[in-house]
Amino acid sequence: MNNRKWKYLFIFIIFLILIYTFSGSYTANSMDNLAYVVAIGIDASENDKMKVSFQFIPNSAMTTEGGSSDDSEPIVNTVESSSIETAINLMNVYIGKELNLAHCKVIVFSEEFAKNGVSTTIYTLTNNTELRPSTNIIISRCNADYYIKNSKPSLETLVTRYYDIFPNSSKYTGYTANVTIGDFYNRILCDTCQCTAILGGTNSNNNSANTKNDSDIISDESSISGKRETENIGLAIFNGDKLVGELNAIETLCHLINTNDVSTFILSVPNPNDETQMLDISMSHKRKDKVYVDTSSGTPYISLNIKLTGKILTVTSDSNYIDENNLKSIGNYTNSYLESTISNYLYKTSKEFKSDIDSFGRYAIRKFLTEDDWNNYDWFNKYKDAFFNVTVDADIKSSHLLTES
Amino acid sequence: MNNTKLGNFEAIALILTIIINHTILNLPKALVDTTKSSTILNLFYVSIIAIIIATVIYRLFKNFPGLDLLDISSYLGGNFLKVFIGILFFAYFIISSSTLLRCFCNNLQTLYYPWTSIVFIILLFVIALMVNGHLSFNATIRSNLFIIPMVLISVVFLFIANIQNFSIHRIFPLLGEGLSTTFFSGISNLFAFGGLAFLYFIPPYLKETKDFHKVTILSIILSALYLLFSVSTLLFMFNSFSETSKVMPLYDAVRYIDFGTFFQRLDAIFLLIWIMSFISYLSIVTKFSLDIFKKLSNIKNEKNLVFSISLLILAITLIFKNTSMLNFFENTLYKYIFFILVIFISISILIFANIKKRINKRIVG
Repeated sequence: MNNRKWKYLFIFIIFLILIYTFSGSYTANSMDNLAYVVAIGIDASENDKMKVSFQFIPNSAMTTEGGSSDDSEPIVNTVESSSIETAINLMNVYIGKELNLAHCKVIVFSEEFAKNGVSTTIYTLTNNTELRPSTNIIISRCNADYYIKNSKPSLETLVTRYYDIFPNSSKYTGYTANVTIGDFYNRILCDTCQCTAILGGTNSNNNSANTKNDSDIISDESSISGKRETENIGLAIFNGDKLVGELNAIETLCHLINTNDVSTFILSVPNPNDETQMLDISMSHKRKDKVYVDTSSGTPYISLNIKLTGKILTVTSDSNYIDENNLKSIGNYTNSYLESTISNYLYKTSKEFKSDIDSFGRYAIRKFLTEDDWNNYDWFNKYKDAFFNVTVDADIKSSHLLTES
Repeated sequence: MNNTKLGNFEAIALILTIIINHTILNLPKALVDTTKSSTILNLFYVSIIAIIIATVIYRLFKNFPGLDLLDISSYLGGNFLKVFIGILFFAYFIISSSTLLRCFCNNLQTLYYPWTSIVFIILLFVIALMVNGHLSFNATIRSNLFIIPMVLISVVFLFIANIQNFSIHRIFPLLGEGLSTTFFSGISNLFAFGGLAFLYFIPPYLKETKDFHKVTILSIILSALYLLFSVSTLLFMFNSFSETSKVMPLYDAVRYIDFGTFFQRLDAIFLLIWIMSFISYLSIVTKFSLDIFKKLSNIKNEKNLVFSISLLILAITLIFKNTSMLNFFENTLYKYIFFILVIFISISILIFANIKKRINKRIVG
């Protein structure tokens, strides 16, 4: 054979080898052989085991555009196992397909499970190549299994769309947060900050009578009722990898103000002209908060300066939002209300939870030149004794369309 | 002599290729492991040292225009020294590229081909290497000139797209583990500029020998900038970066990029660019290894050796049994070999050759 024929033969053989070897991966990973998980729920179980629930969307719902409501009805299967990977394996054999986490949107832990520590599960899930770092972490006040079974979208056809969209509400309400597994993993290993997670629960217990203010609500205890039986209000607080407490809606808002993670929010403050009435103000940051941490003494002194701007939403029959003195008086009320609310929240995180979820450690670490100095200072231990000085400067501009009535 | 002559841009792209491909894998992690939060400060410091070393190399080559290290070794110590240095550099290029190839293929297997045997993934690259070896070096250089800007842009894009996830506070404490770690033991981070090794073999390829200085300095500055972007992205993004080891940390950073819900999952595009860049890297290293072999064995046509070299690379990649072995070579052994061979032995040869030349000039004078 001449040179040219050898060349073609060589190319042909290589082609055959590649087809044969890479077809293995292709066959095993084709759509028909995979089951896409959209949510994972993890509950505590007896004998140090965990109860893992997987929520699936039928393949037909993913391929049909829009999908009919019958097609898109999610399926939830539960398995009890000693680890998350074993649970995946057991579920593989039950459904006869390979579970794929590439489209997993949320991971829900029950409160009971999270109190014992979630680091092993988080590390294992982060080690999974399919799971995206943008997957949200939720701590459910009810069973995780119940939570995902009842997370039925009320306005969307697909539950995945709901999971995609709901964390965004943190940007304009401040009553929940967008916490992902990527953030959570980073924070578990962080020496200047600690973890938080979205707080979820049911809305079947309408407990509006128990709360003084509208913004004191928390998942499981809100006054909201609707088609979907779950809600996400508040924040779960971790010390290390263990759940240590929960924040209600207004405290979550304080956290997001301090971390500059809320674009705009509605705040209810007492009306200076009539303290029995509340004024709703739409507020946003004027500039990033200024944080100063003094570590010269044994107890850290944290000074926080917040600049906000706001527009009044509530209009009564005798409102006058064109008068400068009136606006100033509302501004002063807002300042003192926010200063006391944020201070209370900060002391709650330090004294009660002993958890620096606002990442003040990032400002404290600047004062140290070497890692040894920083480690010797033992920030997390010192944080529980920290003093806070919060100053809020709210600039109330006007109302929206009506300036006087 | 080589028929292929490199312009300035082509030569710079060639040196950048070597550094970039190490960075895609574990290089940033190795840098941060040494100097922790002071890595960026250390990188400025190490870059200045690299520029000084590159200038020293240029000055030492000035008396030997158009010659490479092997020619100079031959001038200094005859055939023995030439063969000795040649074998060392040949082994260095082949082993370091094989390690890198194995590491890259391991990662590809983990991420995309869990069901495929690693041998076949490596074979993909080896076959590309064989085909490339049979084309002219000009083809490699030209394609490299197209790929390198793409890689550079991808890293700048990675930096910009992830700015929302950055926390600048992570550069504190400024001195990391202390002054001595940052500025004394931190000098070991100089191995990030592994591309310096190719400076010893580039002069015969240059169209204009007088531009050697420009090529060295520019390639080091661009490499430093590239390293700065890569390390900053990782350091600012991950609190845990210095504490945990991730497969391809830059790939991990890519997974965080999203613009709303409509523009996500760009990892495949980045990986495609990096695969192209990696093939380019392997072709360049093979070409230089072949040239060294050619000079040592005095064979006329080195093209027939492409198969042997490619198979040698395949064989070495299969030696590594696990990631621990690979990490030991990449992060420990590679560092020492770089300092002993690329910095100490090579610069010593150049210094002694210059002294010999001066003495000879005096004798002749």
